[in-house]
Amino acid sequence: MVAQNVFFYLLAGIILFSAFRVVTSNNVVHAALYLVAVLAAVAAEYVLLAAEFVAATQVLVYIGAIIVLFLFGIMLTRAKLGSDQDLTHPHWALSAATAVVMFGVMGYALVDQFHWTATPLPADTRLVSVDGSNSATVSDSVFTAYLVPFEVVSVLLLAALVGAIVLARKD
Amino acid sequence: MLDLVWLVPALPLAGFLILVVLGRRMGEPGAGWLATAMCGGAFVASAIVMAGLIGEQGENRRHLLTLFEWMKVGGFRVEVGFLADPLSITMALFITGIGTLIHLYSISYMHGDPKFSKFFIYMNLFVFSMLMLVLGSNMLVTFLGWEGVGACSYLLIAFWFSKDANASAGKKAFVTNRIGDWGFMCAMFLTFATVGSLDYSVVLEQAPLIAPATATAIALLLFLGACGKSAQLPLFVWLPDAMAGPTPVSALIHAATMVTAGVYLMTRVSPILTQSYDWAPSIIAWVGVITALFAATIALAQTDIKKVLAYSTVSQLGFMFLAIGSGAYVAAIFHMITHAFFKALLFLGAGSVIHGMHDEQDMRRMGNLKKYMPITAATFIVGWLAIAGVPPFAGFWSKDEILLSAYEKNPALWFVGLVTALLTAFYMSRQVFMVFFGEERWRDADHPDAPEPHESPWKMTLPLVVLAGLATMAGILNLPFGNRTHFLERWLEPVVGESEHTVTAAASAQIGLAALAVAGSLVGIAVAYRIYYQRKMEPVEPAIMAQGWKYDTSIAAFMGGPGREAFEATATFDGTVIDGAVNGVATLVRGSGVHLRKVQNGFVRTYALGVAVGVVALLAYFLSRVTF
Amino acid sequence: MLASLWQQLSDSPVPIDSVDLAWAGLAPVMILIGGALLILAVDSLVPRRLRPGSYALATVLLAAGAMVAAVPLWQRVQDAERGPFATAAGAIMVDGFSVFATFVILSAVILAALSFDGWLRREEMDGAEPYVLMLLSASGGVMMASANDLIVMFLGLEILSIAVYVLAAMHLRKITSQEAGVKYFVLGAFSSAFFLYGIALIYGGTGSTNLVRIATYLSATVLGDSGLVLAGLALLLVGFGFKVAAAPFHFWAPDVYQGAPTPSVAWMASGVKVAGFAGLLRVFYLAFSTYRLDWQPVIFVLAVLTMLVGSVLAVVQTDVKRMLAYSSINHAGFILVAVQAATAAGVQAALFYLAAYTFMVAGSFGVIAVVSRKGDIGTSLDDYRGLSRDRPVVAFAFALLLLAQAGVPLTSGFFAKFYVITAAIEAGSSTLAIIAMITAVISSYVYLRIIVAMYGAGDDVPAPRTIPLPAAAGLALVISLTVTMSVGVFPGTLASLAERATPVLIPESDPGAVDPSGVPPGP
Repeated sequence: MVAQNVFFYLLAGIILFSAFRVVTSNNVVHAALYLVAVLAAVAAEYVLLAAEFVAATQVLVYIGAIIVLFLFGIMLTRAKLGSDQDLTHPHWALSAATAVVMFGVMGYALVDQFHWTATPLPADTRLVSVDGSNSATVSDSVFTAYLVPFEVVSVLLLAALVGAIVLARKD
Repeated sequence: MLDLVWLVPALPLAGFLILVVLGRRMGEPGAGWLATAMCGGAFVASAIVMAGLIGEQGENRRHLLTLFEWMKVGGFRVEVGFLADPLSITMALFITGIGTLIHLYSISYMHGDPKFSKFFIYMNLFVFSMLMLVLGSNMLVTFLGWEGVGACSYLLIAFWFSKDANASAGKKAFVTNRIGDWGFMCAMFLTFATVGSLDYSVVLEQAPLIAPATATAIALLLFLGACGKSAQLPLFVWLPDAMAGPTPVSALIHAATMVTAGVYLMTRVSPILTQSYDWAPSIIAWVGVITALFAATIALAQTDIKKVLAYSTVSQLGFMFLAIGSGAYVAAIFHMITHAFFKALLFLGAGSVIHGMHDEQDMRRMGNLKKYMPITAATFIVGWLAIAGVPPFAGFWSKDEILLSAYEKNPALWFVGLVTALLTAFYMSRQVFMVFFGEERWRDADHPDAPEPHESPWKMTLPLVVLAGLATMAGILNLPFGNRTHFLERWLEPVVGESEHTVTAAASAQIGLAALAVAGSLVGIAVAYRIYYQRKMEPVEPAIMAQGWKYDTSIAAFMGGPGREAFEATATFDGTVIDGAVNGVATLVRGSGVHLRKVQNGFVRTYALGVAVGVVALLAYFLSRVTF
Repeated sequence: MLASLWQQLSDSPVPIDSVDLAWAGLAPVMILIGGALLILAVDSLVPRRLRPGSYALATVLLAAGAMVAAVPLWQRVQDAERGPFATAAGAIMVDGFSVFATFVILSAVILAALSFDGWLRREEMDGAEPYVLMLLSASGGVMMASANDLIVMFLGLEILSIAVYVLAAMHLRKITSQEAGVKYFVLGAFSSAFFLYGIALIYGGTGSTNLVRIATYLSATVLGDSGLVLAGLALLLVGFGFKVAAAPFHFWAPDVYQGAPTPSVAWMASGVKVAGFAGLLRVFYLAFSTYRLDWQPVIFVLAVLTMLVGSVLAVVQTDVKRMLAYSSINHAGFILVAVQAATAAGVQAALFYLAAYTFMVAGSFGVIAVVSRKGDIGTSLDDYRGLSRDRPVVAFAFALLLLAQAGVPLTSGFFAKFYVITAAIEAGSSTLAIIAMITAVISSYVYLRIIVAMYGAGDDVPAPRTIPLPAAAGLALVISLTVTMSVGVFPGTLASLAERATPVLIPESDPGAVDPSGVPPGP
């Protein structure tokens, strides 16, 4: 457990530092790359929690798709890639205060629920299933309890696809 | 026989529907005759129902006819039904009676108008709505009628909308009436929450059980509604503007019937008024009498023949509210009936003058019309004597009863009322002398070849004659010579008996008060005679009175800012601020809106920040609810 | 080796408990999605050979078909013996509430599609995409109304939203339309994130995303002892508040309504709002009814803010689309008043209001779509001057719809407001009722301004112009007007339907479902 704790705090430190740099960096591309670090470290935390499916999803979706999208967006819309002084918008103090308060209330909610007590990793066999992973459980529930949501996601993608075509095509 | 009550509103409704479909094809004058016949039919039906009611005695003198269940949702149930009792049938009778005469009159008056049939469509719809208002067996049906007459009123005010820029008049009427309706609706919800029903039969039966505070709230909210519809301070501003519509409309809607709906409503709910705190009726009485005085002073200086009558209507309605506040419901209804007769007569007479003068409304350009329009002049003079309170004409009897009850409520009320009566006699005499006597003034430098006035055709003069007869005789309805001659009071007893104030003054005191009232009227007439007939005194017509004490414009000035000084001169009128709700609410709201609009700056990040702040506020609130 | 692999596969089939699906219960959604796919396929196979208007016709027919499919559902859930039922492992609930909301959403689809037809031709746009997007969006709305699981609710919300973002940005030649789409998208994604976060917190607090289980769990535990649940509730409210444009989550609405293509706005203001409120009622009124005392005050404040913002800011607008945007915010506040009551009468009043409002607002935006000129411009108040002369019938219909929005008697709007206020007073919220009525008076001034502009005479009336009225748009106007007026005279039918449209919580009927959330939450 010691090794787990050590790695947890190591990763947490990386997350905090990178997250801080995301909002203070003067270079948009740097900010996006710091965001990659945040997201990757969060994925690593998931692995520590034995949630390897979530970790894989995190890497695939956030780093693989969203950050790439960000970078494309930056490249396509901004000619200047160097540092940029007016990235901070005038209401940053209010936003920061809002964020701090939000952190406070969310933290409070978590503490209120779990009271600083350590929750053991689930011993339920259906969550940590036969072959020792919970991916199988996820796939099981996708085809049973969450069958309709799973199918519905395809409709969601279809809507997004049609929308993309509508917006992208030349008039 | 009593079940025929459904026919009363059904006939005008049928007339309305037939005219909607066939009106244009029937054209002139067929459409007018049909509408008149339908209204007359309703009158006959009301008379039949009334005969039926007379056959019953005491508590049985009421009849509830339920047509159908309109909606039923959970505990909330509303039926469409009619309540035929002495009060509603009296109202129905005089609405349809006067309505028929005015329909007949309109056939001539609207002669040649391109929208002839449309006018009668609206008129029949109005009569139908008004009958729903008075006959409805519950507050919701009354409210629908209430809105219906309001809608017809806007339609008819705006009828000649190429003639005047009367979008503003319609708008003013709409906004003031919305404020009044708001009061009515609040009262309705409060009643439903308290009693659990909107049926008059249930509500009024349980009225003595309502807590005084609640009863006061309901009564005052209803009074707010009545103020809007019956043009009392501070909501009266729309009525003088409403005179932009055709004259028969002014006579029917803005003098005889619709504007009295507030008086009807307050009489209908008299048990609730009785149940409320003592100061509630006092407020009503004071609002009424101050409105009466205020409007009378404005009428002194008007030059438009219809504007005088409009302010006079506001003033007379104030008298009716004075009666209600004093607990003299019978006197209120009595005055409403006599007023309907003589004011309809005066309006129709004015219409006849306008017609004969080829659409001239300025009294300064009239004079000596008695020579050219003898019938109109004679009937108008009857109306004048009636409104001035000269015995034995109808107005004397009803006004006398109101003043008597006011005296017993509070002598101060009586005194203000007496002064108003004097002013009334004065401004009406001024009008009569300016229009029918003196020299002929229609030809002047600006109008060198104005045509000569002519008498109106029989279809216009016949209603005048009938109404003049009624205005003379209607006092018989309720003569103060002992209980036997109080016909109206005995007739209405089942409805208002428990709430009615009983006169305690000795007969000698009553005669003294009546004598004072007559003396007041005669003084008013005499002064006007010297000024406007003999021309021995200079007329005193302050400009501020002609402008309605700047009541209307002061609001705009107050809200607008630059005219603030003008406002301060008239700021003593306590109604001013409240009337801001009429013209000023928009400006006020506009002001705060402009500040708020700065947030709406179009930047996504600002909006997102707004959302985030909302999120944090919600989170903080919800977490504060955590129990430990 | 292949053989052994084959052996392995056939030897040990992984046992999965299959899910029972009541296909009839899903029929309306299936028709919408299948129809969207069909239109898309036809559009790509027969390019530009179809008669103009056939897509609109197809959309109307599909929506009508979905309505027909919903009729037996209504009969089934009203049947005393069979009653409402849950299906798809408890993810979907078919009850009176969901079927009623389905009908309203489908009506909005029909009205918006009719309005789209003529508009697209005037803007010289073609293609089936707007209709496909609207059908997909409607399927998301129906899912939200019948969701019995927060995940389904979220997916429904996203399908609904993504299609609407695109519908808002659809006018490619108009920069404000693009701007509207981007704004709506960014802010919508922002609020969706909060919504999803809320689901996660509620899962953390109760151990389930299923509304039935959440309700069962909450009723078994002490009230208000869970910060996670309360925080989750707050975040869910943000998501719903954004969709229905409740203050302070309303900022997007005026900008988006003004910039987006008018028929899209007709759909946004009607269908999207109905779906949002259906979801809100299902989650808050049903699943979190034990936390009623916690969320009622919040809804109270939101309702007051929303009504004030909607009525006060509407007065200062000079653009009719913006005016109606704020007025729709005011309407949302009114419906929140009904939600706040948290009683059966409140739910009924909200449903009645939503149904009545859908026809009023879709009809009103239909008129705006007709009156505006090519390029979707000409929506300022001045463009409405003289409309009563140029198009008397349209002006009259618009005036009636506006009066209905103002809540004038003998229109459906009167009874909508009437029921809401009655419900609020019965629930003891007289203060809210009075504020609601004051804002109704203020906003009636806005409608009056438009009517006066249309009917006003004077020097500032512009020269006559011809305003083409496409047949489909006329039909939409006739439908909305007929419903508005007939409900205004005979509200009983709709009111009793709304009364019977009660939302219920029933555990899923198929026993085979796997419970994915076996772990109870922490202490």
